Amino acid sequence: MTRIALEHLHKTYPRQAAPALERLSLEVEAHTLMALLGPSGSGKSTILKLIAGIEDPDQGDICFDGQSILRIPAHRRGAVLMFQKAYLFPFLSVADNIAFGLRAKGVNKATIQTEVQRMLDLVGLPEMAHRRPAQLSGGEQQRIALARALVVQPQVLMLDEPFSSLDPAVRQNLQEAVRRIQRELGITTILVTHDRSEALAMADQVALIEQGTLVAHAPPQQLYERPPHRQAARQMGIDTFLTGRVTGTTLQSQFGPLTVSETPGHGGEALYAIRPEHLRLGHEPGAHSLPVTVQSQIYRGDHVEVQVSLGETVLRVRTNEACWSNGKRVFLHLPPEHLFLLKLPGS
Amino acid sequence: MRVDRPTLRRWLMLTPALLVTGVLFGVSMYYGISQSLGYLPFIGATRVSLDAYASVLGGATPAGREFWAALGFSLWVTGISTLLSAVAALLLAVALSHRRRPAHQATLLALNANLALPHMVWAIALLLLLAQSGLIARIAAALGLIATPAEFPVLVRDQAGIGIILHYVSKEIPFLVLIVLAVLRTQGHAYAEVATTLGAGPWMRVWRVTLPLVWPGLSAGALLVFAFIFGAYEVPALLGVSYPRVLAVLALDYFLNADLNRRAEGMAISLIMTVVVVGLGLLVRRIDGSER
Amino acid sequence: MARNAEDKLVDGDGFSRWPAYLGYALLYLLLLGPVVGLVLYAGSTRWFFPDLLPVTWTFETFWRQLSNARTQQAIGTSLLLGGVVTLLALVIALPAARTLGLERFPGRSLVLLLLFLPTIVPPLATGMGLNIIFLRLGLAGSLAGVVLVHLIPVLPYTIFALIGVFVRYDEGYEQQARTLGAGPWRILWQVTLPLAGPGMAVAALFAFLVSWSQYVLTLLIGGGRVITLPMLLFAAVAGGNPATIAALALIFAGPPLLAIALAARALTERTTTVGQQY
Repeated sequence: MTRIALEHLHKTYPRQAAPALERLSLEVEAHTLMALLGPSGSGKSTILKLIAGIEDPDQGDICFDGQSILRIPAHRRGAVLMFQKAYLFPFLSVADNIAFGLRAKGVNKATIQTEVQRMLDLVGLPEMAHRRPAQLSGGEQQRIALARALVVQPQVLMLDEPFSSLDPAVRQNLQEAVRRIQRELGITTILVTHDRSEALAMADQVALIEQGTLVAHAPPQQLYERPPHRQAARQMGIDTFLTGRVTGTTLQSQFGPLTVSETPGHGGEALYAIRPEHLRLGHEPGAHSLPVTVQSQIYRGDHVEVQVSLGETVLRVRTNEACWSNGKRVFLHLPPEHLFLLKLPGS
Repeated sequence: MRVDRPTLRRWLMLTPALLVTGVLFGVSMYYGISQSLGYLPFIGATRVSLDAYASVLGGATPAGREFWAALGFSLWVTGISTLLSAVAALLLAVALSHRRRPAHQATLLALNANLALPHMVWAIALLLLLAQSGLIARIAAALGLIATPAEFPVLVRDQAGIGIILHYVSKEIPFLVLIVLAVLRTQGHAYAEVATTLGAGPWMRVWRVTLPLVWPGLSAGALLVFAFIFGAYEVPALLGVSYPRVLAVLALDYFLNADLNRRAEGMAISLIMTVVVVGLGLLVRRIDGSER
Repeated sequence: MARNAEDKLVDGDGFSRWPAYLGYALLYLLLLGPVVGLVLYAGSTRWFFPDLLPVTWTFETFWRQLSNARTQQAIGTSLLLGGVVTLLALVIALPAARTLGLERFPGRSLVLLLLFLPTIVPPLATGMGLNIIFLRLGLAGSLAGVVLVHLIPVLPYTIFALIGVFVRYDEGYEQQARTLGAGPWRILWQVTLPLAGPGMAVAALFAFLVSWSQYVLTLLIGGGRVITLPMLLFAAVAGGNPATIAALALIFAGPPLLAIALAARALTERTTTVGQQY
């Protein structure tokens, strides 16, 4: 199976000032699922188009298993794309849709028939061969699109927001199916998404893309729990940052002194972050607390999000109780073991 | 039966159009058929007969002698023009659909300008361009290919209907290109991209993806083109010869005759033309319907 | 972004560039060649074979045709006829097209079939059928009669074009305006017309062109008394002077070309086209 290497990819679209990709390098190990996570317009989809050969890079190289593929025409690359819409050919039956890629290769009829049935079984729709695309639900259409992509045994499977137009229940169902099939076949897969939880749930590796550059990449748990720097931390939903000098285990933060368990090992400026679910609110001061004022609270079912002000700064805290009246002065507890160090910009 | 308000409102909105079309069209069909059967009570003719049809389809009258040749000529001119313009339009649209936007807009404009030009103007332009002393003959003479007009091939007012066919091919290509381009611009590219990543080369994309995608629009457009050419009078009258003539020219010639029998024959011919195109329309609908 | 993808499909892995260029060359030759010939002939005088270009250039024939009283009268008749037919067609077609474009209901395809039947049936047949009854009703030879008979081919194309407009029309804007307190007239002027106006203008334009180009129906119902520009042109072709024919043809082609130029923006920005035939 295929290992993908993107090397210094650069792409600017005509009549657009900012480049869509700026010398981006990234490696995807064979058999793994890499999620590209980032806001819309960050260049994620461009990466897929370059790999598929629908677009050409201005500079840089793309290699499958160390071999450059830039000179191979798009239809011989074995890099299959799936989009938000299934794009099943409306004039073909489900079975003929799946068979499309095999017909392009000139595979014989008998093989096509068995392969199509095998794929229908694989995506869990064994009875659908003679349906028309219009007769299928959105989730079923995406399953057939997946079968159509997998039947050609592609080197790389690329998914461009394939779940984002589906209902939550269907979406989760399909996410699990894709993950199961990807593991089963061991096919190298790239998933483009702007949904953080989707990326974390599905990927072996998550790459954060912003404005055409790679911000960070790491396994999901590591990225979520220990994002390397402020930019990555923000994409992981963190908005509480503390800076200051550390002496011993005391951080002289902009809000006041706090105890930390992790120390930078130097006396200079340090940057710390803490996840919103690790912050706690209390009516009494504690050893590691700061006085704050409750601004507002939002009931979210499984938790309550409370916004508190600390001087000029507004922070979000996840709590389990909804008893924080607005304007009340309370205390924000920052457990030292959850304060972690971030890399400083430029270091 | 109770009619709810939205239903009532909907049919009220449709009434003017249905009424005008229905009355005008219905009245014309009623009087057309009556006249072809010789039934015109207000001039005292009340005997209903199929004489006009009999003499057109098999009689020894002038109409009967010319009808089958005219039908064949009409079908030849119409069929070949429709076929050529549909094939050319498909290929042109595929070639044009990939181009950049400014060029595309200029093309759209040029195509629409051609559509807006009346058929008579176009026919006259072709006449001046292709006649034996026309512009192209002059170019041929300047290149030393011919010396006198008589050496230039007869391309308009010719026996085979080449002038008429050239007219309709050049005038209907833009019409069909616009139909096909509209489909390709809205959904063609996504499907082409999917097909490419699945391993389809350029030709497979055209035959297996583009053609099926545009087929409903193209076949409906081609049917419209066929019906239009089959029934049109001006162009074959301007670019045709006196024999063979197309059915429309034959029908009008007879209809404008002072003799009432000739008029009935003219009317009968035009109604036979109607049966041919409506029958073809139903056939195409049926084939298209059974395919999906 | 999509635009660039289009280019790539042609340039890299698919067809090379040249079929597209060849396609363009053929298309433009086809579209422009006859027009060039027409202009050359209209500006010529005593242009004999085998001269490649007219020896002397003159617009005299053109101006003579344009200042001719008969021509001017025919232009007036054609304009009046086209204007009245367009107005009537719009008023009749709008409610029907809105309903057909926005709603799906039982009987819809039957309604469409009836409304579009006149595009399939030869106008010759409808004109001949109406000829005798219009004579009896005193409508033959009158402008009113010709207006009525022009509606037969004009109406389906107007409805077709307007259905295209309303299929893409979102009624949500009107509902939004209603909830914001706008009355029916305010909604018509400030919501419906700005949204559907350009499409309606294009439909009106094509309605006018269908009427403007009509020959057979005018002949059958006008009976030689309603003289439109196509009648003059047809007579001129029988007469035979190429310069005169070309000049008259250019005059006949003028308004359509002018109208297309005016509607250029609307025509190139819409992805769909007016399926127009006449």
